[in-house]
Amino acid sequence: MLHAVQRILSAAVGTGHLDPSTPLLTAYPAAAMRVGRGPLALGERDRRELHAVAPGIGFERWTREDAARALLLIAHRAGARTGDRFVADARACFEQGDAREQESWLRAIALWPEAKSFLPDAIEACRTNIVPVFEALACENPFPSQHFPDRNFNQVVLKAMFNSIALERIVGLNARLNPELSRMARDYAAERTAAGRSVPADIDLAMQEPR
Amino acid sequence: MKIFDPHIHMTSRSTDDYEAMARAGIIAIVEPAFWLGQPRTHAGSFVDYFNSLLGWERFRASQFGIRHFCTIGLNPKEANNPKLSAEVLAILPRFLAKDGVVAVGEIGFDDQTDEEEACLMRQIELAAEFKLPILIHTPHRDKKRGTERTIDAVRRAGFPEERVLIDHNNEETLPVVLATKCWAGHTIYPNTKMDEQRMAALVKKYGTDRIIVNSAADWGISDPLKVPKTIEVMRQQGIDEASIQKIVWDNPVAFFAQSGRLDVSGLEQRPAVDRTQKFATNSVLRGDQR
Repeated sequence: MLHAVQRILSAAVGTGHLDPSTPLLTAYPAAAMRVGRGPLALGERDRRELHAVAPGIGFERWTREDAARALLLIAHRAGARTGDRFVADARACFEQGDAREQESWLRAIALWPEAKSFLPDAIEACRTNIVPVFEALACENPFPSQHFPDRNFNQVVLKAMFNSIALERIVGLNARLNPELSRMARDYAAERTAAGRSVPADIDLAMQEPR
Repeated sequence: MKIFDPHIHMTSRSTDDYEAMARAGIIAIVEPAFWLGQPRTHAGSFVDYFNSLLGWERFRASQFGIRHFCTIGLNPKEANNPKLSAEVLAILPRFLAKDGVVAVGEIGFDDQTDEEEACLMRQIELAAEFKLPILIHTPHRDKKRGTERTIDAVRRAGFPEERVLIDHNNEETLPVVLATKCWAGHTIYPNTKMDEQRMAALVKKYGTDRIIVNSAADWGISDPLKVPKTIEVMRQQGIDEASIQKIVWDNPVAFFAQSGRLDVSGLEQRPAVDRTQKFATNSVLRGDQR
C-alpha cells in the first residue's frame, strides 16, 4: 500500500526534497519551503487508486507540503532498522512540530502499519484548541474510527459539533454509533436549547442508536 | 459597587485591561492556574507558571490598584499525560503552602478520562491537607454528566461541599449544583458559556445564594469587563443593588475567605499604587521610571 502511495505522491510533488543526508527533523519542517504550500494536484486515476489502497484518507484536501512530509516519513520508514525506531522518529516530528507540521502528520497517520502505536499521540492531538489541527485528525481521516476507544471517539464527535464541523466529515461515524454517544448528543441538544442557541442541523448523525 | 472577579487569567491580558478593570470598579481578582492554549510538556514549565502567578502577575496587578490572588492546581486538560501529571502533582504542595493561594484549582474533568479522575482525587486530598477550598472546572463537552461526576468525586472523598466552587455553569447544570451545598460560578463570555441576559434570568429564577459570576477572560475571545457588564444588565432587569452586591462581592469573598488567606478587613479599599516599586528589578513602566 505504501508503495502505491509513494509512487503517486512522488509523481505529484517530485522527490527533490528527499535528500537522505538531511536529518528528518530538519527536512520535515522545511518541506513546505521545498515544494510549496498549494493544493495537491491529483488526476482522477491517481485519486481512485489512492482511495483503493488507503480508503478514507482525504487526499483531495491535502496540500503539497502534506504530501512531501508523508513522502519523507515513507522514505525514513524504509531506512529505519526497526518499527520502534520509525515510531520514535515519526513521533518526534509530531511533538516538535508547529501547527501546520502537526496537521500534515495527522493527515498521514492512518497510512502506517504501526498506526496503532500512535494512539496516545492522536488522543492528545484531539485536545488541541487549534481547529485545523483537530480537523486534520477528526475529518477525512479513518484513524479515529479505526483505533479510538468509544469514550475518545465520542469526544471527537462532540468536539466536532462544538466547533461547527459537519459530522459527515467524520469517517466511519455510522459504524461507531453507540448508546453513550446518543445520550451525549441528546444532552448537548438540551443544553443548546436551554441556552437559546441553535442545535446543529446534522446532530441526528450522532444521536441515532446503532443498528 | 465593589467588584470581585473570582476567575480571570490576567497572564494573557494587557495593562490596558488592568486600567479598564480598575476604572470599572474591580478591586480584587482571583487568577486560577489553568492551561495556556497549548499543552506544556515539562513539569518545569508549570514551576515557572506558578511562580509567575504568585510573583510577577500579582505585582503587575498591584501597579493598577487591583488585589490579585490565585489558585494553584493541575488542570484537567493537562492531566492525561501520566508522567507529566505525576511530576506536577509532586510539586504542588510547595506552592499550595504559599500566601495568596486561596484555593486548589482549576481542577475537574475535560475529556472525563480515568487519568483526569485520578488527578482530581489526588488534588481533593491536597486541598483537605492544606485546608483550602476547591475551584472546579466543568467540561465544555458532556457538561452535565461531567458536573455530576465531579460532585460524586467530592462526596466520595468526604470533602465538605461548602468549600467547593463549581464553575462555568449553565441552565442545565445550575440546578444540579444548587441541590448540593457547593457554590455555583458562571462564566460570562461573548459567544459561549453564559451571557449577561441569561445570567440575569437565572438570578431571577434561583436567587442569589451561592451564586457567583466571573469573566474567565483569557487568551481566547473573552472580556475582562464582563462582571461590570453583567451588573448593568442585572440592574436593567430590575434586580436590586443588595442582591447584585452579594453576587459580585459578598459571595466570592465569603467563598475564598474559607482559605484563611483572604484578609477580609480592608479588602474593599483599593490598594495605593506606587509605580516606583519594582519586581526583581523589573517595572511595568516603559521609560517613565521616576
